[in-house]
Amino acid sequence: MDVPHPLPPLARSAHVAYVKHALANLPGSMVSLDASRMAIVFYCVGSLDVLGVLQTETSETDRTSWRTWIWEQYVAGRYGTGFKPGPFMSSSSSNARPAVPCEQDPPHIIMTYTALLSLAILRDDFTRLNRPGLLHFLGACQNKDGSFSSMPFGGGDSDLRNLYCAFCICSLLGDFSSINVERAISFIGSCRTYEGGYGQLPSCEAQAGTTYLAIAALRLAPPAPRPRLTTAERVRSEHWLIHSQDSLSGGFRGRTGKAPDACYCFWGGAALQILGAQDKLNAHEFTQFIASCQFRFGGIAKTPGQHPDPYHTYLSLAAAAMYAPRLDQNEQRYGQWEFAPFDPLVNARVDVVRWARERIPAPRRH
Amino acid sequence: MPAPETAAPAKLKYAERPEWADVEPLQQYEIANPLAPILYSEEYKDATDYLRGIVKAGERSERVLELTEHVIRLNPAHYSAWQYRYETLVALSAPLDVELKLMDEFADKHLKTYQVWHHRRLLLLLTRKPAPELALIARILQRDEKNYHTWAHRQWLLAFFNEPSLWEGELDFVDTMMNKDVRNNSVWHHRFFVVFQSGVREGEEDRERILKRELIYVKQNISLAPNNASAWNYLRGVLEHTRQPFGSLAAFVQPYTVPLPASTTDIVDLENPPPGRDADLPCAAAIEFLADVYEERGGADNVDKAVELWRSLANEHDTIRKKYWEWRIREALATSS
Ligand SMILES: [Zn+2]
Repeated sequence: MDVPHPLPPLARSAHVAYVKHALANLPGSMVSLDASRMAIVFYCVGSLDVLGVLQTETSETDRTSWRTWIWEQYVAGRYGTGFKPGPFMSSSSSNARPAVPCEQDPPHIIMTYTALLSLAILRDDFTRLNRPGLLHFLGACQNKDGSFSSMPFGGGDSDLRNLYCAFCICSLLGDFSSINVERAISFIGSCRTYEGGYGQLPSCEAQAGTTYLAIAALRLAPPAPRPRLTTAERVRSEHWLIHSQDSLSGGFRGRTGKAPDACYCFWGGAALQILGAQDKLNAHEFTQFIASCQFRFGGIAKTPGQHPDPYHTYLSLAAAAMYAPRLDQNEQRYGQWEFAPFDPLVNARVDVVRWARERIPAPRRH
Repeated sequence: MPAPETAAPAKLKYAERPEWADVEPLQQYEIANPLAPILYSEEYKDATDYLRGIVKAGERSERVLELTEHVIRLNPAHYSAWQYRYETLVALSAPLDVELKLMDEFADKHLKTYQVWHHRRLLLLLTRKPAPELALIARILQRDEKNYHTWAHRQWLLAFFNEPSLWEGELDFVDTMMNKDVRNNSVWHHRFFVVFQSGVREGEEDRERILKRELIYVKQNISLAPNNASAWNYLRGVLEHTRQPFGSLAAFVQPYTVPLPASTTDIVDLENPPPGRDADLPCAAAIEFLADVYEERGGADNVDKAVELWRSLANEHDTIRKKYWEWRIREALATSS
């Protein structure tokens, strides 16, 4: 352990080619992504951004047309405004949409979050954003128990994913006024388990992804008189997360006793960053695991030897970016694994988050 | 990503079927430069053209059920098709037992798809007949013992309907699943949920007895398989939930923190079951537990003992977490001095 194995190379150009290819076209076998295309767009554009090649590998024309596609998914209705995953239910342009909105094709909260981040990555000026409409939409997605449905008026499933996205959007807007924060916080509390993590819904097993969502949402929430987590709770969560690192591979597990998976390097690793415990994990072995999940022809898979997908590619790169500053800088390949600073709370580069926080809120009146 | 399933040997396309001639198919609108476009199959294009047509017309009929089933078979994550299907079932007062039967097949085939379980839950809210679900869930869990959605469905079902008869067999079910895999954390979690987090049911009012029963249960399990993180987490969870000091388990834990003695005697000790003959010791989780006991007791001597144990984890038994253990040492020394 004193002389760790040197890091394998990071196949940057192969990963760039992989996500650019996905942006240009997805095979028919991926039709199950039809109702979440916006998220795929975010993973691909986000990968280019984390790799620091968005300006060099894409043209201004590309980026303009990508922004146009994203705004094309922006819809308005009696539920407010937000983004759909894609045109899978549309038969006409949303710009030309008649006055009566299609109730069967409403915006989706997770897609709205990924659209806003993608637009910030692409340096959109957000002049088209209807802020009151967006706030209204978030309010319409909240349920009585404080949780959020993915669509307005109880449509779609409800779990911590939607809640995190709602909190993150409110935080970017600088406005939590359209949702009931305290009720949402108590919903988060009901998802906490004896292990110190959080389940997807009340009484579900602790899972690293939903634990990230819960811990991030608690941090994004407006400040309260007392900390949102007691010391004992924080220590317990940290303990569970630290123990999610697999001693053999260095990768993170999603649940106690399960095999490690690259996406949990992000969820577990980011949750530890938010808790301020980033120095307590083994960054070298962590990065080593991510390196081992790289696919020969580009892209990153959930485990070594599997086929890649945009989701695991983006989250692996984001995870590596977060822990790059904790690698030994004398490491032979340190330069390859170096990234610009990353914000674990919002899940984007620090620069992107700054852009989003400046442009997404309503312009100040003088 | 699972490959989409091709539906039963395609009948004619909707466009070629006279009974669909009155529906205007609506093509998907896509701007000139689409992002991440999917190369749809002809079958999917045809079916979704008609779905968009039907939805726009607001039709609620038998054939909507046929069409939405077709779309869902091609793409089980098509949430709009699911939602429209659900609303149509309600509008037609369709027989829900038929729908649930179809959903049994979907749960088997697409057990990792959110929508399958969400739809099932909506149906149960209408039928309000939770009992037959338990057997179905048990069957699916035989095949995929850690499937998150399936366990979540079971937990929701029990907590939401909360009928005494539903809970009756739950601990036996836990035992059956535990016997298959003692390291299945989903089972341990479920046990905690049943015993501690779902209210106190008849016959379980004596909490002292329940605590004792659970401690015996987890200790037995640790004695059979000491390096089982799920069991140790359960033990910690039980003690914290019932506010018992970790120190009350010191005598049990100690033998697991040292190498297995050369000769062991077969003592049957329910209070403190010893490690089995082939146990791989020392066990990192036991060392950590014992260190927590010393830290809990406090005082310079105890902190020293805890530090020594943490050091052995950092340098020998759990080196991946070296930085974490070193931090624990610094913290304990800083607070004790
Ligand atoms: Zn994964």
